[in-house]
Amino acid sequence: MNWLNDSISLFTLIGIGAVIVITVFVVGKYVRQMKTDSSTGELAKEKWDGIGEYKNELPIGWALSFFGTIIYALWYFLAGYPLAAYSQIGEYNQEVNAHSDRFESKWSNADEATLQDMGKGIYFVQCASCHGVVGDGMDGKAQNLTFWGSEEYIVKTIEIGAKGSGYPLGEMPAGLLDPQSAKAVAAYLVEKIAKTGKSKNPTLVSEGEALWATCAGCHSEDGTGMFGMSANLSNYGKSEFIVEVLNRGKKGMIGNMPAFNDGRLTDIQKLAVGKYVTTLVE
Amino acid sequence: MQSSNVINYDYTIAKYFAIATIVFGIIGMSVGVLIAFQMAFPELNNLAGEYGTFGRLRPLHTDAVAFGFTLSGIWATWYYVGQRVLKVSLAESPFLMFMAKLHFWLYIVGVAAVVVSLLMGITTSKEYAEFEWPIDIAIVLVWVIWGIGLFGLIGIRREKTLYISIWYYIAAFLGVAMLYLFNNMEVPTYFVAGMGKWYHSVSMYAGSNDAMVQWWYGHNAVAFVFTVPIIAMIYYFLPKESGQPVFSYKLSLLSFWGLMFVYLWAGGHHLLYSTVPDWVQTMGSLFSIILILPSWGSAINMLLTMKGEWGQIKENPLIKFYVLASTFYMLSTIEGPIQAIKSVNALAHFTDWIPGHVHDGTLGWVGFMIIGALFHMAPRMYKREIYSKKLIEIQFWIQTTGIVFYFTSMWIAGITQGMMWRATDQYGNLAYSFIDTVTVLHPYYTLRAVGGALYLLGVFMWAYNMYKTMTASKAIEFEPQNASPMAA
Amino acid sequence: MFHWLEKNPFFFAVGVFLVIAYAGIVTVLPDFMESARPLKGTKPYTVLQLAGRHVYIKDSCNACHSQMIRPFKSETDRYGKYSMSGEYAYDRPFLWGSKRTGPDLMRVGNYRTTNWHEIHMYKPSSMVPGSIMPSYKHMFTNTADIETAYAEAYTVKSVFNVPYDEEDMPKLGTWEEAQKTAIAEAQLIVDDMKDPQVKEAFARGEIKEIVAIIAYLNSLQ
Ligand code: HEC
Ligand code: HEC
Ligand code: HEC
Ligand code: HEM
Ligand code: HEM
Ligand SMILES: [Ca+2]
Ligand SMILES: [Ca+2]
Ligand SMILES: [Cu+2]
Repeated sequence: MNWLNDSISLFTLIGIGAVIVITVFVVGKYVRQMKTDSSTGELAKEKWDGIGEYKNELPIGWALSFFGTIIYALWYFLAGYPLAAYSQIGEYNQEVNAHSDRFESKWSNADEATLQDMGKGIYFVQCASCHGVVGDGMDGKAQNLTFWGSEEYIVKTIEIGAKGSGYPLGEMPAGLLDPQSAKAVAAYLVEKIAKTGKSKNPTLVSEGEALWATCAGCHSEDGTGMFGMSANLSNYGKSEFIVEVLNRGKKGMIGNMPAFNDGRLTDIQKLAVGKYVTTLVE
Repeated sequence: MQSSNVINYDYTIAKYFAIATIVFGIIGMSVGVLIAFQMAFPELNNLAGEYGTFGRLRPLHTDAVAFGFTLSGIWATWYYVGQRVLKVSLAESPFLMFMAKLHFWLYIVGVAAVVVSLLMGITTSKEYAEFEWPIDIAIVLVWVIWGIGLFGLIGIRREKTLYISIWYYIAAFLGVAMLYLFNNMEVPTYFVAGMGKWYHSVSMYAGSNDAMVQWWYGHNAVAFVFTVPIIAMIYYFLPKESGQPVFSYKLSLLSFWGLMFVYLWAGGHHLLYSTVPDWVQTMGSLFSIILILPSWGSAINMLLTMKGEWGQIKENPLIKFYVLASTFYMLSTIEGPIQAIKSVNALAHFTDWIPGHVHDGTLGWVGFMIIGALFHMAPRMYKREIYSKKLIEIQFWIQTTGIVFYFTSMWIAGITQGMMWRATDQYGNLAYSFIDTVTVLHPYYTLRAVGGALYLLGVFMWAYNMYKTMTASKAIEFEPQNASPMAA
Repeated sequence: MFHWLEKNPFFFAVGVFLVIAYAGIVTVLPDFMESARPLKGTKPYTVLQLAGRHVYIKDSCNACHSQMIRPFKSETDRYGKYSMSGEYAYDRPFLWGSKRTGPDLMRVGNYRTTNWHEIHMYKPSSMVPGSIMPSYKHMFTNTADIETAYAEAYTVKSVFNVPYDEEDMPKLGTWEEAQKTAIAEAQLIVDDMKDPQVKEAFARGEIKEIVAIIAYLNSLQ
């Protein structure tokens, strides 16, 4: 891990070490005195319920330390970090900007495998709480990502319709085609529109092409979605499509998927998690 | 064996409060053990419907131990120590006696109201100041009555010079009075709107201001409940039980005034990196560092009082309690300042390390002092030997083990948690989801709960030993000057 | 000189009081006005959200959850933008918390949704395996106290000039109006929920605690 490169973590470990060492050392010193020394001094004249009191001097180490900490505090406040010389938000901005520059320059041209690997980490932190660690959607609590994006899933979408990402065209109605035709359109979509690979039903592709007109009305001939009026299917099943989902959120049939546009994920990170999610499809 | 018998001290109220201390200690710490187990085994949240969930019980724990166990302990010792070091008996003034009784019974009513209201979820959410305004009023009343009793007794004292313990009781009285009033400025909504729950109120302060007032209060609640009156105790019970004069008047004096001056500035350390102004945070952090010395001053003064007295430590289990209490006081008052360093707090804040710090203070220092103090008082109040010395010895070691389990597990848990929240993978992205940082803590939560259970076991042993001392132990004729008489 | 004090309890007490009192004045007061100013766009809670906030307080969610995102990259990556003072201007009391047994919730409305909360609050471990958060089944049967929420909103409006009913601000109006607004707001949440009992109760005109607390959690952004 990077724990020891993190100055805060390092500082904390030193801190707790200091707690133990200083306490043991100082208490140890007095315990030795209990064992070996004996008490002396001039007694005050009062006794309170029999309790006496010596007029001993201050322990010198204690007095010096007390004085020292006061000097230190004065120095800190007057010279070290005088009023208004420090801003925690300023410090934060520096930290974040430095990190962003490094991150951009290092990963903006990252290859597919790197992005997928990066995306995996992001997925576990940001997505797994709804979609589950394996992406199965946890018994229908969120989208099953091992199914979403597949050809079969397109068939299902045509059956149940789609809604919730706030496209100007609104909802996609359910049951636009019968199951057999849907299968054909799905084959066409995968192979010719999204071009994500060979269809599982290659023989149906041309039949699907003939039926595509049903969809083109909203998604356009080439599937690009009529300039943002509806979902861009030329990206269907790809990371770009997922990035779009992350930007828009989705209040669909299953439930609500929040949008990730509050700045917690950068574009590279969104792309990366998209890449990872596409690997989940079986 | 002569002087103290001249005046016939009246321990009625001290006895009342001693019993309250034991009862509230058992209640508060049983709840503590339960919530500790809940964090390891969350099914335990379902034992009593909505009334048994962690959220409802946690404030019950903190308030029962702080305002039940600790306050009762403070007052039990006040009504004992106060008379003795001022050389005046409560029985000499029927008025003060009446006030003391009123003090006790009103307080009991207040605590009962607190317990019921917290279980019902009636709370204002502010830590250590959860109570709604009707209870606030009761608390203010209790406090004023105590104040009258406190200054009344001082007023009729025979010993002209106030003993160190009295300084600290006065400070505790004044500190809490000031803090509590300002932190509880709230507007009852029923009286403005004419509808809704009659006991509901809304804070006078909002947001960052509310936070600032709350932690000015919260930090100093620690100061004036868990520290100042406990120092009052150790300055009496350790020298008294051991027969050794206090090591240094100068050290007592500087520690006292140093503590008074420095403590109040340090509250900002609860708000580091929050939205309160940077300079307030810096003050909080700096004064915390300075605070080590006045805190250690008292502890060192006590340890030096025991110079050359190793034999007593080995022989007398009460001295063991007091000496270990000073040591835990030193531990938590260096740990706190280190946690108040900004770079450390960046990690430590919000983690289990904070409850770790809290409990080496409360279990090791507050708990041990109160237990030890009541053991010293019992033979003198009930005129009987302590029932079993052996039982105290066993109790001491069981509880010490419990504390060690508690703070070591929370140190590890807290630092692990803090590091995992910050950890990044090789790309610079967060390495762990939140739940990862929860599940790793299971073993430590379990260990802490076991430690807490051991401590609670010790509390039961204490209660039993005290009960037997009150009722069945061998009677003594003369009050011993020093070391408490104990059956083997 | 100090011996003199120790013999004069009155002056001793005055001395102690002076020494402990002025730290508060110096550290707490100077920024009081400054910190009370709301950020542009920060709005007071609606009555339903306020009722939810009361549920949050009643069950001491703040015992485990903070609402304070500190300016560290590790926190802003996890929870969103760091907190700003003005965002809390209508928070009475503040709910920053002091322990994160669970995650920060300052902006949980940005990344959790109604139905997520519904499942999670009913049984957290079914949504997040390994969760140690208690389940809050009683919120599905307890009815939210809209009346007290209204009383509080009315109080802060009249006593602290919280800008209800002003332009671009939540409407409060009379108790009758406020009830209607709360029901309309609850409707949107109940629509997104699945629990049949909550829905039935709502049809009868009862707003359950779970609906109110979800309204509150969704408002945290
Ligand atoms: C009435 C317009 C309309 C028609 C016709 C239409 N769609 Fe859609 N489709 C939409 C809209 C709008 C969306 C975006 C829904 C959302 O997420 O908000 C969408 C989304 C989709 C999605 C993505 C769904 C998801 O949840 O990921 C697929 C796949 C899809 N359409 C396929 C098709 C196919 C295949 C056809 C033809 C059989 C078709 N659509 C016909 C409007 C339409
Ligand atoms: C608060 C819960 C939640 C979180 C967090 C979440 N999702 Fe989702 N997600 C959902 C739900 C619910 C759906 C199903 C929406 C619907 O009804 O179609 C969904 C659907 C999806 C879909 C399918 C969208 C479509 O077009 O049908 C994708 C892809 C997706 N999520 C990816 C992600 C990724 C990647 C992340 C993390 C960066 C993530 N989700 C985080 C709840 C969540
Ligand atoms: C015993 C401690 C505890 C209490 C009390 C508690 N929680 Fe939690 N909470 C957790 C833990 C641990 C998690 C992280 C695991 C999970 O998501 O369930 C969590 C997670 C959450 C989340 C999800 C946040 C996120 O970013 O994933 C929400 C929302 C939440 N709690 C709300 C509440 C509310 C509202 C209450 C009070 C009614 C409450 N919690 C009481 C411990 C607690
Ligand atoms: C020099 C003395 C001390 C200093 C400087 C100090 C400092 C601190 C700090 C920095 C925190 C953590 C704040 C956070 O990050 O949340 C804290 C918490 C706490 N400390 Fe101390 N501490 C001191 C002594 C003690 C003692 C002796 C006790 C009790 C016997 C105690 C009880 C507490 C409690 C109860 C909390 C928790 C507050 C909360 O609810 O958040 N402290 N202290
Ligand atoms: C049997 C012994 C005890 C056990 C098992 C126990 C357990 C606990 C637990 C589990 C918590 C909650 C921690 C969290 O939220 O993470 C807690 C908090 C607390 N306890 Fe105890 N406790 C015990 C005794 C005491 C005593 C004797 C005192 C005081 C005299 C005390 C004072 C506190 C305080 C002040 C807090 C709040 C800490 C904070 O907010 O940071 N406890 N305790
Ligand atoms: Ca109050
Ligand atoms: Ca706390
Ligand atoms: Cu503090």
